[in-house]
Amino acid sequence: VIAAAGLGSRLGHGLPKCMLQVEGRTVLSRLIDAIRPHTDRIHVVVGYREELVVEHCALYHRDVVLVRNPDFRINNTLTSLSLGARGLRGQLLFVDGDTIVRQHTLEAFVSRGKRCPTLIGVTHASSEDAVFVSTSGDGDSLQVESFSRESQGAFEWANLMLAPSELASQGDGFVFQAIEPLLPLPASIVEVVEIDTENDLAAAQASVRRWDATP
Amino acid sequence: VVLGGREMRTAYCFDLDGTLTTTELLPSIAAEVGIAEEMDTLTRITMDGLIPFTQSLQLRAMLLSTVPLETVSDIVSSVPLDTVIMTFIESRPDACFVVTGNLDIWLEPVFASLPCRTFSSAATLQNGSLRVEHVLDKRDPVRQLRTEGFDRVVAVGDGANDVSMFGESDLAVAFAGVHQPARAASEAADYVVFEGRQLCQLLEGL
Repeated sequence: VIAAAGLGSRLGHGLPKCMLQVEGRTVLSRLIDAIRPHTDRIHVVVGYREELVVEHCALYHRDVVLVRNPDFRINNTLTSLSLGARGLRGQLLFVDGDTIVRQHTLEAFVSRGKRCPTLIGVTHASSEDAVFVSTSGDGDSLQVESFSRESQGAFEWANLMLAPSELASQGDGFVFQAIEPLLPLPASIVEVVEIDTENDLAAAQASVRRWDATP
Repeated sequence: VVLGGREMRTAYCFDLDGTLTTTELLPSIAAEVGIAEEMDTLTRITMDGLIPFTQSLQLRAMLLSTVPLETVSDIVSSVPLDTVIMTFIESRPDACFVVTGNLDIWLEPVFASLPCRTFSSAATLQNGSLRVEHVLDKRDPVRQLRTEGFDRVVAVGDGANDVSMFGESDLAVAFAGVHQPARAASEAADYVVFEGRQLCQLLEGL
């Protein structure tokens, strides 16, 4: 489930963030390519300028299901995820549509997820407007203890998690707020770039260039 | 899904032209009388809601009234149906319904090949000329199905005339199998889907 309904307002390009081009391809295409080896069912939740995403998928990703979130201006990612998860069963991968994930790190993440029903993606802190996580343990015993907007730790929430479909029930807010009551939960490191600001976009270009060179 | 101790009954309503059929029917018939492009234009502006469906249907019936019914039959029976959607319908024929604004008199061969009930507009042939007797409001079948004990209705379609069916249904899927769905249809839908396989996987899970 890719949550791509939100406004791209902070970036001001007038596009949904998933439609931004990074090294010649949209964030959404890069995300779908990374996810596709792991599932044949991809739900993309659309809202802001959805017609652009519909057109893009009609051309390049005809096997995705677009889920409409027409109230995207007044609700949040948790609503998008619960809309996106409707009709899907079992363990789901939830990811924000403004995120690019490095393919082989997603493979390792999904493979670890086979042993953990719920698995939180964390990444080395780098983006400008991060949700930080405090963790304990390392390697296979890495756990998320808490989320925070302030305290700068070594890791941030990667806007990505594996969880049972039931977790995406009703309610609104941010995804990390829905999982907070369940903490501590197992975590695994993924390499991602999240694009919230112009600086993030520039950093994403650089990271993706490096990843494309050495996949 | 269980509702009050019994299984919830869901009805699936499918539009015909461009949803269940892999091409639009009327432009194919119009090719017979050399007005395929004109019919295509008329069909497109109807899909987009630029002229009311009722007017458009009257107009289209008039334009095609000179095509012999046997010719229409031949064309209509040769138009392929989406095989994945057909498999879905065949596996639950009592819960599936084809809801089309198109005319029954033209659709007989398709209707005969469908394992499920159909709702359509109606026309008769009088002294060799086609007379539209009833134009289907796509809300009506949905209301009708609720009175028959269906707890939930899921609608699938692609045109402006599907918007009323979408509005009356619990869940709506804009299907872009043949062409982009009309903007009004996607804006009234909960989902936009491009292929029969994804459509049916989605319907099975809902």
